[in-house]
Amino acid sequence: MKPAGSNEVFSIKSRLRRLKRDTNRWSILTLAIVLFIALPVIAIAVKLLEGPGETWWHLVDNLLADYIGNSVFLIFGCSILVLIMGVGCAWLVARFEFPFRKQLEWLLILPLAIPSYIVAYAYAGVFDYGGSLNLILRFLDFEFIRIDIMNKFGLAFVLSISLFPYVYVSSRAFFLNQAGNLLEASTMLGVGEFKSFFKLMLPLARPAIVAGLVLVLMEVLNDYGAAQYFGVNTFTTGIFRAWFSLEEPETAVYLSALLISMVFALILFEKWQRRNMQVTGNKASRHIHRKVGAPLMQWFRFFLVLIPVLLGFLIPVAQLIYWAFLTAHKVFDLNFILLSLQSFGIALITAIVTVLFATLLIYFAKWSSVKGIKSISKLGILGYAIPGAVVAIGIMIPTLTFDKWFINIMDTVFGIETGFLINGTLVALVYAYSVRFLAVAYNPIESTALKVSDSIPDSSKMLGVGNFKTFFKIEFPLIKTGILSAIILVFIDVLKELPLTLILKPFHINTLAVKAFEYASDEMVMEAAIPSLFIIFTATIPVIFLNRLLIKE
Amino acid sequence: MLSINSISKSFDKGKNFALKDVSFQVKEGAVCAIVGESGSGKTTLIRLIAGLERPDAGSIVLRGKELSSVKKLVAPEKRKIGLVFQEYALFPHFDLLKNVSYGISNLKNKKQRALEMLDLVGLSGLEKRYPHQLSGGQQQRVALARALAPNPSLLILDEPFSNLDAMLRMQLRNQVFEIIKKTGVTAIFVTHDTQDALSVADEILILQNGKVIQKDQASNLYTKPNSVYVASLFGNTIQLNQELQTAFDCPLNADCCHAIRNESLSINKECEYVTHARVLKKTFMGNTTHLLLKLDNGHQISVVTQDDNVADHIKIGFNSTDVLEFAT
Amino acid sequence: MKKLILTVFSISVLFSCKNSDKKDEAETGASTEQEVNVYTHRHYESDQELFKKFEEKTGINVNIINASADELIQKMTMEGEQSPADVLITVDAGRLERAKSNDLLQAVSSDILEEKVPSHLKDANDYWFGLTKRARIIAYAKDRVEESELSTYEDLASDKWKDKILIRSSSNIYNQSLMASIIVHDGEEEAKKWAAGVVENMARSPKGGDRDQIKAVVAGEGDLAVVNSYYVGKMLNSNDTEEVETAEKVGLFFPNQDGRGTHINVSGAGVAKYAPNKENAIKFIEFLISEDAQKVFAHSNYEYPVNEKVSSAPQLQEWGEFKEDTLNLSKLGENNKKAVILFDEAGWK
Repeated sequence: MKPAGSNEVFSIKSRLRRLKRDTNRWSILTLAIVLFIALPVIAIAVKLLEGPGETWWHLVDNLLADYIGNSVFLIFGCSILVLIMGVGCAWLVARFEFPFRKQLEWLLILPLAIPSYIVAYAYAGVFDYGGSLNLILRFLDFEFIRIDIMNKFGLAFVLSISLFPYVYVSSRAFFLNQAGNLLEASTMLGVGEFKSFFKLMLPLARPAIVAGLVLVLMEVLNDYGAAQYFGVNTFTTGIFRAWFSLEEPETAVYLSALLISMVFALILFEKWQRRNMQVTGNKASRHIHRKVGAPLMQWFRFFLVLIPVLLGFLIPVAQLIYWAFLTAHKVFDLNFILLSLQSFGIALITAIVTVLFATLLIYFAKWSSVKGIKSISKLGILGYAIPGAVVAIGIMIPTLTFDKWFINIMDTVFGIETGFLINGTLVALVYAYSVRFLAVAYNPIESTALKVSDSIPDSSKMLGVGNFKTFFKIEFPLIKTGILSAIILVFIDVLKELPLTLILKPFHINTLAVKAFEYASDEMVMEAAIPSLFIIFTATIPVIFLNRLLIKE
Repeated sequence: MLSINSISKSFDKGKNFALKDVSFQVKEGAVCAIVGESGSGKTTLIRLIAGLERPDAGSIVLRGKELSSVKKLVAPEKRKIGLVFQEYALFPHFDLLKNVSYGISNLKNKKQRALEMLDLVGLSGLEKRYPHQLSGGQQQRVALARALAPNPSLLILDEPFSNLDAMLRMQLRNQVFEIIKKTGVTAIFVTHDTQDALSVADEILILQNGKVIQKDQASNLYTKPNSVYVASLFGNTIQLNQELQTAFDCPLNADCCHAIRNESLSINKECEYVTHARVLKKTFMGNTTHLLLKLDNGHQISVVTQDDNVADHIKIGFNSTDVLEFAT
Repeated sequence: MKKLILTVFSISVLFSCKNSDKKDEAETGASTEQEVNVYTHRHYESDQELFKKFEEKTGINVNIINASADELIQKMTMEGEQSPADVLITVDAGRLERAKSNDLLQAVSSDILEEKVPSHLKDANDYWFGLTKRARIIAYAKDRVEESELSTYEDLASDKWKDKILIRSSSNIYNQSLMASIIVHDGEEEAKKWAAGVVENMARSPKGGDRDQIKAVVAGEGDLAVVNSYYVGKMLNSNDTEEVETAEKVGLFFPNQDGRGTHINVSGAGVAKYAPNKENAIKFIEFLISEDAQKVFAHSNYEYPVNEKVSSAPQLQEWGEFKEDTLNLSKLGENNKKAVILFDEAGWK
């Protein structure tokens, strides 16, 4: 039975009237942030309208199948490896007690501190002719077995080993915080360890696992350095080729569009798999009581967990340290320390700015009364899906227009000659980083924000306190671990970021990642070891801190 | 004092209405209960009043000030309405004193007023405690103190007792409404439990499927329900359909709908309308006994009685004055 | 929160002002501090030394932005008239030619440059000048290949090298330039056939850098590697004794000595079209061509100097004199895109 008045209440006229009523400053501010963040994407989309370049069909005929094939291979290959390592280790450290568990628990996060292209360099060095493995085998008087790692299998390995912590962290958080009661219930029902894991824990942890996995796959699709070095053609290397070798930004933009649609498909998949999972303010669940087990099993578990730590952190770092000893006298000087400080500073500023944007975006959208705004606000995080180099170019298009306009105005109206206000300054760089890494900040903040029941801020409002004050007094203290994690994650990502920095960094500033890449791209991989180690070192400290934070939570 | 005028709200662009054309008034100082099953729109209604939802049509006026209409919305923080959430929603990182003083805008007397409020709800001395250190009932009272502290024009309580067990519930219900009466604040509370509503509300509003079914004083609702639904909310009710009318031999006005309350049925007593019945099943429930009866004409009904010692064959009947009549 | 935004904003404005101040001063010439802004793809320690020397000698500050040539060209294109770039340095002529055709460079008249840079190593209209030369040579496994079996680049496509050739990806500019030179000398049809033939002969799908190709030869994955001369020089002088030993195990061969000569490429520089410090830019390039600077290039980086008065590093002299292809390097740039397309069509990864 349809009420008689429903047509009138939902006529276009009354809808528009309500839209006008509901549009508040938060709606407009949300739109403004989204627009600001989406500007490079829009600039690229406009380029898309110009049509593909003449070599587009050449690419389609000769290379596209290869790009798609390799990218799909990497998606599946990395998914499998990352799931086995990430979820497996998370379960082992959450469920069992074994020697050095506490140390391994945070060591497992450390691969995040190494950029995947550096892992690639290190492994190429390990397996190389005359490489470390060769030396060790020769020392042990064994025949040298040449393992070729520079192919798509090797690439899948290198990417997985450096990215699996995303899945490890998200699934471990689930196991630690939410699995205790359920697991007890399952044990009470007499269900065995294996069955409990596969039938109960795995399906329940799925949203957490997939959320981590989607992050991994985005990084996989974005990778340029490692794929380039290993000679595997992917969409991203294709974009660089079209843009720079073929000089056709239009074609590169078309490839980017294809890549972005792949990422969209991933995001939609993640949404779809979460559709029935109600996110609730989780009542603190009992912690899992860790099983101890027989000594032999304990050591067996220890070795299982040690493998990813060895592969993802200790071996590459050992290789880098070896190289660093060979090249320290050439690379390490005062300038280098200055460079490190710059890197550190830029990463910190960016992390704060990006987290600020993410927080504003989340809360403005929340405070906005218009229904569609929330979905629109999600568009703000899509920068993560776009390769760094493409973001950089996307930033340059609109900001240069602005800069040129600004210079013109200053010149003609005030007679002052100025330089670029945005381009070639930290503004452009930080802006680009923010666009790229907003999602990195958005996710942890959003997930902690979701844990705060709406009724808490609503109570504050009902007590006559406005949105901003409510945020600072009530919500901020409750989500500060999320904010801190966000700052740390962005900090690390900026420290590791390469292609975007290469294009947008100001004159007098350099970063460790750029330095490492410069060396490596000029086949001075050994010299790249020291800046790489500095990145790893600077990123390791916050990673350990982040781990403390997650455990406390 | 509070006036709700033709409020409608749909969450799916008019396909279904959570609230449809709801209007009512609440007098100054009155306690009004909104009763309905889950999904009846009662929570939506109070969220609209609080300003946490926006109406699709209609308006809400409080003390002559228009709070919500299709043209205008007053932000929730400017409405001067106190809201006690079902889950209390205390600020977990504040102690009780800070929780209660949070909404008090007068800086000078902030602490004093908060302590007074804590005293009012019987929690003085606990101001340094944190919410997680309190029992459910204590949390409930803190939430009440917090909502009352800024002196709201209207107090709304959403399912205030649903998270508590039966004993505590009764005790707390009386305490809470004593406090409310003491402060003289106009209050609306939402419940699915008619016992709550009957015991403390001056007026009761019945919502079903987003529509107001009946609004009246508590006693009137019991004696003069305007539908079988309302009648059944306040106790076990048997609808007198054609078959039952024949069984009891009581021809009633065919244009109306009729029902009889369980408690109006008498067993083995003289009544206007009587029939014989066989007890098919007896279920002992402590202070009552549930009977499944098979009437002479083969019709089965369930009846509740205080008497736990009923014979297998009984006489059952009622008087015409107890018959509830509703327009169809 | 607003304060934070303000702070970040003002910091960045400070940065931008710093840049613009300098630029103003340079333009008005009234400055006490002169500067030259260099966009360079080269990132060697020796370059840093040279820049320091230039600063000491002239008092002109050198500001560096380091990135790949492609990115620098994109950046300059977008910056347009406001670009702060004075000098563009790349590691191959093709990219300089591209910068020229994208209207990013300007012609320079300098007697010094005219005199010291051989004509095939600079742009015909003086838009850019070569700084250092690298030869694309063949490194072969001494134990499996006789030097007499080697002859030309074209020969690499012949059946006898089936599964023996190691060469890096076609996205590498040195390969693109080599391909461009083959297009010019042999024609498009032949070039495509050649590429297909080399792909057929590859010992493995292309990967890694030039050093990796040499290591693969020594590891026995193939017999021939096509590499840049200066990488061999660097390997022979590496800190890593393993690398030195590896490099010592290969023989070096300069192809096409009986014909047009070995394909060479240059690292070169041009003055940006909208250079705010044009005079300094010219001084800077002139300095890089000077005997002093050329010596540094030659001795620290194992590149062949462009300035004929300067002798090569002893390491390079050991390899002996060779005949170089005197094709004007502008041709490489002109044919670069065609080269990439032909590579793709031939299935050269």
